[in-house]
Amino acid sequence: MAETPFTQIGRALPRREDRRFLTGAGRYVDDIALPQALHATFLRSPHAHARILNIDSSAAAAMKGVAAIVTGQDIAQWANVLQMAPPIEGLRPTAMEPFPTGKVRFQGDLVACVLATDRYLAEDAAEAIEVEYEVLAAVADMDAALAQDAPRVDESLPSNLLSEQHFASGDVAARFKSAHAVVTACFSQHRQTQLPLETRGCAAVWDEGRQHLTFHTGNQVPHPLRTALARRLGLSESQITVVCPDVGGGFGQKIALYREELAIAALARQLNRPVRWREDRLENLQAACHAREQRCETRAAVAADGRILALELSMTEDFGAYCFFPGNYIARVVALILTGPYRIADYTYRVRVALTNKCGAGPMRAPMAMASWVMDGTLDEIARQLGLDPLSVRRVNMLTPAELPYTMPTGELLEDVTPSETLEAVAAAIGYDDFRRRQAEARKQNRFLGLGLCTVVEPTTYGSRFYKAAGILGSGHEAAWVRIEPTGTVRASVGLMATGQGYESSLPLAVAEGLGVDVSNVRLELGNTDVAPYGMGSRGARGATAGGGALYLCARKAQEKVLAIAAHMLKLNSAGDLRLREGDVERLIGGAWTGTGIALTDIARTAYLDPLALPPGMEPGLDVSQAYDPPPMTYSNSSHACEVELDVQTGRVSILRYVVAEDCGTVLNPVVVRGQQQGAVAMGLSGALFEHVFYDETGQNLSSTLADYRVASACELPNFEILPMHTPNQRTPAGIKGMAEGGVMGAIGAVSNAVNDALAPFGVTATHQPLTPPTLRGLLRGRI
Amino acid sequence: MKPALFAYHRPQTVADALALLAELDGAKLLAGGQSLGPMLNLRLARPAHVIDLNDLLELDFVRRPPGLVEIGSLTRHHRLATDAEVAAACPILATAAASIGHYAIRQRGTLGGSLCHADPAAQLPLIATLLNAEIVVAGRAGTRTVPVRAFFVSSLVTAVQPDEMVVAVRFPAFRPAQGWGLEIFSLRHGDFAIVSVAATVTCDPAGKVAALDVALGGVGVAPLSLHERLVPFCGREPDAAWGAELGCLAASAVAPEDDARIPAAYRRELAMTLTQRALAAAVERGKDQKHG
Amino acid sequence: MAERMLITLSVNGVAHEVAVPPRRLLSDVLREDLGLTGTHVGCEHGVCGACTVLIDDRPARACLTFAVQMEGHEVTTIEAVARDGALSPLQQALHEEHGLQCGFCTPGIVMTFEAFLRDNPDPSEAEIRDVLSGNICRCTGYQNIVAAVRKAAAVMRGEAL
Repeated sequence: MAETPFTQIGRALPRREDRRFLTGAGRYVDDIALPQALHATFLRSPHAHARILNIDSSAAAAMKGVAAIVTGQDIAQWANVLQMAPPIEGLRPTAMEPFPTGKVRFQGDLVACVLATDRYLAEDAAEAIEVEYEVLAAVADMDAALAQDAPRVDESLPSNLLSEQHFASGDVAARFKSAHAVVTACFSQHRQTQLPLETRGCAAVWDEGRQHLTFHTGNQVPHPLRTALARRLGLSESQITVVCPDVGGGFGQKIALYREELAIAALARQLNRPVRWREDRLENLQAACHAREQRCETRAAVAADGRILALELSMTEDFGAYCFFPGNYIARVVALILTGPYRIADYTYRVRVALTNKCGAGPMRAPMAMASWVMDGTLDEIARQLGLDPLSVRRVNMLTPAELPYTMPTGELLEDVTPSETLEAVAAAIGYDDFRRRQAEARKQNRFLGLGLCTVVEPTTYGSRFYKAAGILGSGHEAAWVRIEPTGTVRASVGLMATGQGYESSLPLAVAEGLGVDVSNVRLELGNTDVAPYGMGSRGARGATAGGGALYLCARKAQEKVLAIAAHMLKLNSAGDLRLREGDVERLIGGAWTGTGIALTDIARTAYLDPLALPPGMEPGLDVSQAYDPPPMTYSNSSHACEVELDVQTGRVSILRYVVAEDCGTVLNPVVVRGQQQGAVAMGLSGALFEHVFYDETGQNLSSTLADYRVASACELPNFEILPMHTPNQRTPAGIKGMAEGGVMGAIGAVSNAVNDALAPFGVTATHQPLTPPTLRGLLRGRI
Repeated sequence: MKPALFAYHRPQTVADALALLAELDGAKLLAGGQSLGPMLNLRLARPAHVIDLNDLLELDFVRRPPGLVEIGSLTRHHRLATDAEVAAACPILATAAASIGHYAIRQRGTLGGSLCHADPAAQLPLIATLLNAEIVVAGRAGTRTVPVRAFFVSSLVTAVQPDEMVVAVRFPAFRPAQGWGLEIFSLRHGDFAIVSVAATVTCDPAGKVAALDVALGGVGVAPLSLHERLVPFCGREPDAAWGAELGCLAASAVAPEDDARIPAAYRRELAMTLTQRALAAAVERGKDQKHG
Repeated sequence: MAERMLITLSVNGVAHEVAVPPRRLLSDVLREDLGLTGTHVGCEHGVCGACTVLIDDRPARACLTFAVQMEGHEVTTIEAVARDGALSPLQQALHEEHGLQCGFCTPGIVMTFEAFLRDNPDPSEAEIRDVLSGNICRCTGYQNIVAAVRKAAAVMRGEAL
């Protein structure tokens, strides 16, 4: 980083977590030894939609090692229904049984749970359970689901239309009337899944004497999970401790309280015996959580120079069979932020969400990822139809620095973002003008290059005011504590939970900066609800802004107390001329910071062991708490440029170059940020080109192994060239903006736009992801 | 995702293995386990008995009888990929083996296992088909030799009888001026091919095609050799038109079926494109070889 | 059929007597019976590579291996890679190059490349990516892992960086 006012924030330090992971000493849920634990396995539905007429588990129950076999009827006595009924206009309330009783709604849905002394025996018994089903017609895609008289996924609802929301700003109709041209475009994003390398899993221990549940699980939001568990089990929050050990990736899959986890917790309590479950990969791909299956159609009124006068969006999302989240919440964010860094005042959207007989959907790293592809893809379609250059169409529409801060038509405020700077940076880095020359040369030799651009404004951090305005229950705040122990060592905690983001190597820098110590003196403790303060956890890209912000402010508060004590010890009237640096108290004397001979260790010893030496009225100890509610929304921004070559004979896309310019404000640890940038782009490319949760028309999932759900390997991904930029946010602590999802957003758009640039000579456009060789070759068939 | 119960046997000689095969009902041979393992874990295979062949080190060999490369069935893909004799005598086999799955998979997977698993998209069945290899099959009555064209019966089905096992495979050694090309088209590196094409071309000193062979994988229930239809393409200049005609021949010779994710038309197009590319590579490589 | 077989399993140079059903996967025996939980289970069908261990110094999927097969063979796991508390050059390079995030795939990657680098002291980037393609990492995008392997190779060759 360039010049900064910081001594700790921004230090490029290798990670503290690494050693345990590199030596096999990490501790993930399944690594926790629990003597006498029973192993669970779930019998799952082979049908996409069926009534359960009878379950006969008598033979299975008699098998070796089997301790219990339970069904939805049993679990209904021990756990409560999930009401998903936020007061949101256009969203239908739903209720989910703790475990299916009468009907299964997707292939992989739950039918029974077997507990045995080991997983092998549990699986043997699960096979021996006899279930009689009445197979029902299934709806396996969103259009079929929304058709008249479609079979209903949730029979308590009047139709499969879960949510429908509309919005209009400005005078869209008038703009269309006066437009030079009207350009329509279609974007279809396919179903994907988060695919953490560590599948879901949990281990529950009930302490009958203390009436207390300890629930070990890798989860991104330990406290909200505890609240949900308490509510669903009829316990108080004080009766539950959620312990999150190391977590092998989350990406949004480890937020909800799933029915399997609820069942395990209930069973541990009922049987008064530890119960554990490790999801296998088949289950994970069929039944954990899916994402991203959305289709958008845009219609733009444009001027002759490509300027967008008005924009219409129609969006439909396939939400699957169950609502673990409010059905509207993912799709609507796409609509809210669609116009992104572009100057569009007249805008309207319609967003519909459908239930289908497929695994329930949820957030996946950058749930709103589609927005950037749809917006920049629309700009490309305008360029193609008007015969304009895609970069010039972007320049014409993009907000200039003078126009910022800018209120988007949906009311979202963009500030401290630099989209034109990132766009020009990637255009220069990738050699945009020269590329057009190379592209023309290559075409003469029957080689087809393409270049795609995509500019992203990434909503990283949702403040409480955003939720309130969107009518969503919940809070955007985060909470922290900082404790300086009697020896002067510093402990800190926050309500986030790491799933690979390297928090132990980045967040202590915020504490060290706020307090005035070297980061080596700060230790971060996460994931145990008895230790960490109640926070909203890790979702979106809120970790740095909400969590880092809370820790930074908390550490500043701690520093104030430390300096107040120092001032008292130095017999000064005020601490105004004091600061803590690297653990030593310094005083501004004659314009120069000068040592006072007092160190944090002295102050800590005094605070704990000699409280009578503290300023009058000050409480002993150095134990500070702080909660922080970020602005309604904080944005990072980035531009992506991707160069591809398309083999028109086979349809194969090769990525030749990938450049990102990203402005994510003040960064805590640039090593960690770089890793997040690379990982996010990788996930976006892998999703757009390879991954696909594939259901046939009867609702059978044909992608339930890793041979069929294809995530990109090291041979499919390029090296990423990253141009870091750091415009601080003026409203957040230390200017932190957050990041880690924008890479997905930009990658999906940039690679798709690049492929369409390569396809341009053939007069075809790829509108459906994934952009697989058979799909692209299909577009070219008969056109070469 | 755990295997169903089975009994485990670990013979120390081929004779013992054959005796167990004869004696046990529902027995399955386990070699490298890289295909059988997933099928067991998914309970798609449920043998009552598993006979582990990994102690039969007598079946891990590469030999060079005149004009042949004879390879033991327990020879691992990694050895095929890195053995200097294999590379010299049958370079397309070494390259094909190096492209199977992934590094760790290749350390365990075996030649015999791959042929007996008989996945129609797999590399080693393709190369065996291309080169018209002979498979040596042992039974209690002795060994027999099965020409590859009689070996692959259908997808995942071979001519090996339940009481037999493959012990060796004989590939003809490459001749001077014999060039080769191998095109494996999969969605990701290391995946099973959608379509694969292997070809060899030998040109005479005048540059005319003296011999050629083409085989395709992934286009039907077993690898397909075009051997019988290639005579008209000998004696010609191996130019682009020649390659294009052969591509059309390949496309018309295959009869792929639509599956849920890959249309038959796409496989046919790949057959054409990859055939042309494999032949072009074979011609190029042949130029680099010295005539005998 | 004998339900359990008594075998001697040699892991990281230590012999363990264990009684296991033949169907029990090496990955489960390492983790649950021997407490060596550094070997991770990511798919149980041989694709993800997280469970990769060394069998007689060659990388192999522990999820595609039955423990009973290992009698007479030497198994090496991630727990044996660092010696006397010192990271191996590969482990050290992964740390310095930020080649891991959630860490779940990491043991499999370390085991694969500990073996690979012994055979290939000076691999190209393409060769590294070919080998790495057998290990799925969902976090890093692979770039830093590739850089780390190159660095480790250079260190092991004794080259100054």
